[in-house]
Amino acid sequence: MNKTHFLLVIMALCIILVPVIAYILGGWYAYWGHGLLAIIFAVLAVFIKTRYYWEED
Amino acid sequence: MTPPIPEAGPELMFGVITTISAFLVISILLGFFMRKKAKSFEEWLVGRRDIGPLVTGFALVASYLSGWAIFGNAGLGYAYGWSGSWLIGTTCVAGTALCLVIGYRMRKYVALGVRTVPEMLKVRFESRMVQALAGLAMIILLIVYSVGQYKAMATVWTITTNTSFFGSLLATAILVLVYLIVGGYTGTQWVSCFQGILLTIVGWTLGITALIWAGGPTNIAEAIGMQMFTAPGGTQTQIPLKNYTLSLSAPEGLAFPGVDYVGVTAAMFMFLFMATGFPHNIARFLGTRKITKREYWVMLLILLVGGLTPLWIGVVGFAARTAWGDLLMATNPPIYGDSAAVYASISAGGITLASLFAASVFAASVATIAGMVMIMATNITRDLVHNTYPKASPKKLLWLTKIMLIPFIAIPLWWTFTSPPPILSEFMAGSAVAQAGIFFFVVGISMYWKRATKWGAVATIVYGLILTLLNPNAYGKLVGLCHWGYWALLLMFGSALIYFLVSLATKPLPEEKLKKLFPKMKS
Repeated sequence: MNKTHFLLVIMALCIILVPVIAYILGGWYAYWGHGLLAIIFAVLAVFIKTRYYWEED
Repeated sequence: MTPPIPEAGPELMFGVITTISAFLVISILLGFFMRKKAKSFEEWLVGRRDIGPLVTGFALVASYLSGWAIFGNAGLGYAYGWSGSWLIGTTCVAGTALCLVIGYRMRKYVALGVRTVPEMLKVRFESRMVQALAGLAMIILLIVYSVGQYKAMATVWTITTNTSFFGSLLATAILVLVYLIVGGYTGTQWVSCFQGILLTIVGWTLGITALIWAGGPTNIAEAIGMQMFTAPGGTQTQIPLKNYTLSLSAPEGLAFPGVDYVGVTAAMFMFLFMATGFPHNIARFLGTRKITKREYWVMLLILLVGGLTPLWIGVVGFAARTAWGDLLMATNPPIYGDSAAVYASISAGGITLASLFAASVFAASVATIAGMVMIMATNITRDLVHNTYPKASPKKLLWLTKIMLIPFIAIPLWWTFTSPPPILSEFMAGSAVAQAGIFFFVVGISMYWKRATKWGAVATIVYGLILTLLNPNAYGKLVGLCHWGYWALLLMFGSALIYFLVSLATKPLPEEKLKKLFPKMKS
């Protein structure tokens, strides 16, 4: 498994964990936790784009 | 002690009208200045491809934050408690980041003469049919989306000026017309950037102020934990609001996305796909200049800050629920819980913040309606009429565009007038699922997948539109499709399946033609 695949797995985890923390934690922890998971997803997506798939004009 | 529900006085009315007028003047001046700089109509549409990361980032924030996010989210938090979070879009930042990653390639198409999203599809698939069909699909879906924007602005106008709801709807339609006539839309990216900054600052400020006003996070969590769901109209139930799912009774209750974890899953994927699927979102990249890797990170930072605004508006709804219990669910028909944001802004922030919030809703909803009306009108002239009669004179097309503004303002107005949705964000989600399911693949993926074909795109659009009609709140019940989650998953993943299968079964464009559309990667 190369680095990109590893990062994609973490991104998938950021989605899978959303309903899990809603069910287990609930309340404010889940509410802002979802936001935090989405931020991690976003940072990884841009990292993959800029590091491995940067486009030339 | 429960604070009284505030009443609007002449001071608030003056404040609201002043801030909205100030917003209009700034938008017009920005629009006028930028229009003067543009040398042609084409240059006005996409600029000189010199828009930097700051303006693009905030413009993207503005086009994403419609009346749903900046206003309707409070209604969701208020009416449904924690289970409203799924439509509030607590994970929406992930979707906007995907749009950032995917959408940048739109620039490639501008160099090939593309000025609109359907035109991009014409170039990608060398097909006028795909362009026309995509234009038609956008018209249908944007009309539905506009209904929610009308309700958002009309609600603010009703409460802050003591006008009747139906009078406020007319006032909103007039404001849209004024906005279009005086050229409020002509600033495009620059006006949108200004709106994005305004929405972000006001959204965060109002959210934090409401959080403090309601006694802090612990107090709010305790209050929500003790309350039960009340339906719009005031019918009380024994279903607690303390969980992230709300077990509403079948069949009507199944139309709510937070009813179970199937609906929750569908809502998550909707937010993941819809930022890219919204044509008015991805079009923001048409005017972007070449940007560096560092600037790409700057755009992400803007999207992260702006993208958390919907969560703060959700907090406003939780705060209102803490303060007033389910009182608003039985008052102000047909506004009900959607009034939570306005009342909370008055109580928590006073006249200044309430007026700024009203201007923000104006920016988000009226400017969005105006933008959508423009898109729909140009879909008719550029993607349908000009597509069929390429020799039609530009003067006639311009006149036709102006005439088409009237029906596209009137149709959603009539819809909102005759059957206003009880909770606007829930209603708008129907259109959002369709835009996510259809255009994420047809526009977004087609820019990266060489094997995509025009028949794959056509089949996806047709399938997506048919499934849109089968929404549980429309004709879905006739075929036993009452569950929102199953419907949304069927639409989004069914569209994906059809897009890939039909594309693989049909012939793509020749490699030499695709070469110009797919750039080299550099790591």
